[in-house]
Amino acid sequence: MKKLTYFPGCSAHGTSEEFDSTLKLVLKTLDVELEDIPDWNCCGATSAHVMTENLAYALPMRNLVLAEKLENTTMGIACASCYQRMKVTKVHMDENPELAKRINTTVVEEGTYKGTVDVKSMLQYFYEDIGIEAIKEKVVKSLAGLKVACYYGCLLTRPKNITNFDSPEYPVSMDQICEALGATATEFDYKTECCGASFSISNTEVVLNLSGQILAMAKESGAHAIVVACPLCQSNLDMRQPDIEKQQGVKYDIPVFYITQLMALAFGNPISQLKFPKHIIPVEGALANIGKVEPGPEKVKKPIKAVEAESEVK
Amino acid sequence: MITLGSQGKNTFLEAVNLKSGANVLECYQCGKCVSTCPVSQYMDFPPREIMQMIKLGLKEECYMANSHWFCLTCSACSGRCPREIDIPAVMEAVRHLAIEENHINDSKKVKEIRKFHEIFLDMIKRYGRNYELRMMAEFNIRTRNLFKDMHLAPKALLKGKIPLGVKPLKSAKAIKRMYEVAERLEKKK
Repeated sequence: MKKLTYFPGCSAHGTSEEFDSTLKLVLKTLDVELEDIPDWNCCGATSAHVMTENLAYALPMRNLVLAEKLENTTMGIACASCYQRMKVTKVHMDENPELAKRINTTVVEEGTYKGTVDVKSMLQYFYEDIGIEAIKEKVVKSLAGLKVACYYGCLLTRPKNITNFDSPEYPVSMDQICEALGATATEFDYKTECCGASFSISNTEVVLNLSGQILAMAKESGAHAIVVACPLCQSNLDMRQPDIEKQQGVKYDIPVFYITQLMALAFGNPISQLKFPKHIIPVEGALANIGKVEPGPEKVKKPIKAVEAESEVK
Repeated sequence: MITLGSQGKNTFLEAVNLKSGANVLECYQCGKCVSTCPVSQYMDFPPREIMQMIKLGLKEECYMANSHWFCLTCSACSGRCPREIDIPAVMEAVRHLAIEENHINDSKKVKEIRKFHEIFLDMIKRYGRNYELRMMAEFNIRTRNLFKDMHLAPKALLKGKIPLGVKPLKSAKAIKRMYEVAERLEKKK
């Protein structure tokens, strides 16, 4: 059994409760035991780094220091924003010991930062530590027939020198996981466009515009649903969808799943545990496509390295 | 006309470079950042122009622009920058300097964005975690827009999308102390 330190993030108890609970179902199937960081705190999200440098480092550092006290060497983070803040802090502290020492004065009582814990998003953990083959092995109910647009947003793969994972322009890790589940990933050009993220409340007009473009492109790609691995992307694309439809005068009606909901479904968990009633856009229409086509010959996806090499040639 | 290097030492450029860790002088104005930026259409000056303004030492103009408040730090620009300049870090440096020197754009939109971030940080200071419902309520009250997003409330509350309460940290004191020390560090600089 593998063990993993887990940072759920604030939204796991609210807007993205279904991400948290289905993630736990998936990891149970994959035989991974989660260990919560005791008394973790908010990472500071966008607000901390917008307003002040020190707090933007101090808030994640407290969690990193607490995580170092546990035995595991990897911390898995569900929320893309939390992941970004934690990883930025880790990279900057490891690069600059002087800065680390200064920021450490804000959390002296918790301990000294050592930099011994690696930080990964759950998507990265699935892709690198579990592996596509192991995920495929656990599938008992193929999602064949379901076409999905995999939406990564900006924080999971960018900036490249911080995340060091997948491609910042055209990532494929989530696409490969979805295909391992039997679903078809569409050619979707807006994979890494920004949804407007933290402007959800303070600058809603921007979110309606940006998320609207993402919905339009997903629909155009022929997808029945969008798949995400970030609570903010999910709430912008799902909760704001009726407003976007009203503004644009278009009916999208495209549900937004967390990747873990689809994994849990393919792993054979009962639908009643997947928290679908929490979605604002109903999921039944999209799920009805499952099983409508015979599983065809397996599509070969190019490995990331090849995609990168190609884009460099261009 | 202003010519680069004609007005002696450009202390603003130095301050931005030092704070961001980037070298703004490397920008050769190709404009790829502008075409990539999802919010450049909302900015007073798109990223390319901000870069040039920094090179010219136009400090006040940079501070008073809304550009660095609209930057989403999505890093699309820096990913495509042929000079690999960390443009979001430059935007952040300008914003932090503007806050430090208290020269801030006072448009309604920027005020709302700032108010949101202040309330968010206040929630963490108080509870150690974000309290979404209270944050939204305070935002509506403090921006005098009581009915904003109220049409979403019934569904969001009913579906448990937004919980009514928050589970505060056991060590809430640790967070308060962290805020105090961080504030002192901010002043020391």
